[in-house]
Amino acid sequence: MSDPEDSELQALQRQLDDAFQTTRPRAGFEDDLWSRMQARRPLWVQVRDFFAGLLASVRRVPAAPAAAVAVVLVLAIGVGILSLRGPGGGGAGSTATSRDSGTAPLAGGAAASGGGPKTPSKLTGPLPTPALTQAAPSPNLPTRTINGAGYAASYSLYFGPTTLTWGGQLDVTATTLPVYRFQEPTRADADRFAASIGAAPAPNLPREGLGVYSGPNFVVVVSGSTFQPPLEPTFRLTDTTPNGGTDPVGVAFLYLVRHGLRPTWNYQIETQQSIDSKSIRVTFLRLFDLGTQGQANLIDSVGSAYGIEVDLSGGQTRAVAYGALPLNLDAGTYPIITADQAIHSALAQSAPAGSGAPAVRLTGAELVYILVPAGDHSYYEPAFLFSGLFTVEGTTYVKRVLVPAVAA
Amino acid sequence: MVADRPPFEDLYREFMRRIYAYVRAQVTSSADAEDITAQVFMNAYHAYGRFEPRNTTPAAWLFRIARNATLDHFRAHGRRERLRRSIEQQPVAEVDPAGVAEERIQYRALLAYVAKLPERQRDAISLRHSGLSFEEVGGLMSCSEDAAKMLYHRALKALRESVQEGMV
Repeated sequence: MSDPEDSELQALQRQLDDAFQTTRPRAGFEDDLWSRMQARRPLWVQVRDFFAGLLASVRRVPAAPAAAVAVVLVLAIGVGILSLRGPGGGGAGSTATSRDSGTAPLAGGAAASGGGPKTPSKLTGPLPTPALTQAAPSPNLPTRTINGAGYAASYSLYFGPTTLTWGGQLDVTATTLPVYRFQEPTRADADRFAASIGAAPAPNLPREGLGVYSGPNFVVVVSGSTFQPPLEPTFRLTDTTPNGGTDPVGVAFLYLVRHGLRPTWNYQIETQQSIDSKSIRVTFLRLFDLGTQGQANLIDSVGSAYGIEVDLSGGQTRAVAYGALPLNLDAGTYPIITADQAIHSALAQSAPAGSGAPAVRLTGAELVYILVPAGDHSYYEPAFLFSGLFTVEGTTYVKRVLVPAVAA
Repeated sequence: MVADRPPFEDLYREFMRRIYAYVRAQVTSSADAEDITAQVFMNAYHAYGRFEPRNTTPAAWLFRIARNATLDHFRAHGRRERLRRSIEQQPVAEVDPAGVAEERIQYRALLAYVAKLPERQRDAISLRHSGLSFEEVGGLMSCSEDAAKMLYHRALKALRESVQEGMV
């Protein structure tokens, strides 16, 4: 082999080394596949592995008194039995919601995604801190363009610093509230969801998110969570079947029912006309049950309530539904702060007096739930949402302040 | 001895990307590569109880499963589709997130050339650059270590010619 030829081949070998070392599957594939493998283990293997891991952890703590080990063992057995029940298994945190849409709840956990479990107890440990977006993500807030159509609001949100005072009333009787957690769904979960609504993978369509599926006259795209802005795993279903009817709420509701997507949680209904008057959005705003404290809206990262949206256009002959996947939720009960503590925390977010920031008198406060992503799982956490109006040069703005409800 | 067998998760974390890269060089489509890689580790997971570390290395064992899974894929999808892809200059067009992510990765075109090599040459290059020794490559391809070296070098020259022709 001549020297130039030799060096050419050596260079090619280096390129091949680089090519193989830099070839990677998509982000998340490694953990996604591992989760699928774990989920497909036979039950006896899961039990065996659980106890093997438990005994290994006990062996790593040789100084632990025997009695303590026994207690740990009993507790762990209990936890293990609960954790082995799997999706839909109904653990201690399960809820018996009667609003079964027929869709398959996804991705681990033991509780269905209803208004809230009656006796949540599974979720424990520290929580990530919820927060609102600190800067305007769009000049037209709170206009949302998720489905391509803009819907106007009668006010503007203000994201800048303000000096805050309190002039409202906040009554909180609850001392604890549930927190919910879900695991990020996998592609197999998306497949299962699609199958539950009568859709099958659509290999001829461009791949998107966790999967693209089609059924009779409809296409549904399933996507995983996003972090900016925070959004849970979603479906987007487009249907070109004429719906008929003149009442948009009725049309939207029947549309969801027909596709097995009727909300499995409590909701309020909101309708909006698009800016160009060509479409109507019917939103089923999601509510969380607070027991004696009533119900709480689920809010997005700017503090606006949201849920499943149905956009109707073309004389209500074309519809797009967009919303969170039905997810299994783990749940746990956490102590919450008092009303006084919440007000104090809200005012602590005030800009210094004399800073020139607009003065806002907060007059509204309510308990809400907000999504908090945390890697491969996310939480719905309770929070206090304070709000107040102020006017600058004839324009009325809304200032919103969020205070985490769970006690530190 | 069973105690010599590492936890399967250790194997998975160590070899998953290498197996994916090996498969990816065979099939050119990231979606197919993901499916086959998933099948490889599902098969390996179920067969791990029978894995005997004294007889073979984890790498050789896993790449044997990967090689068989890839061959099964080609059998299932037929050579026609494979040939159709092979005569194309570029890998199958993709607009999926996996494909978009991979656009960032260099040397994709080089792997496409690898995928167009004759089967044994492609295998020799893919196995070797996935980190296997020539002894392991020979073991997987049912030939001696020396024969694996010769096959690899012939494959390397063929690849160089293919790349040069493609650049004209």
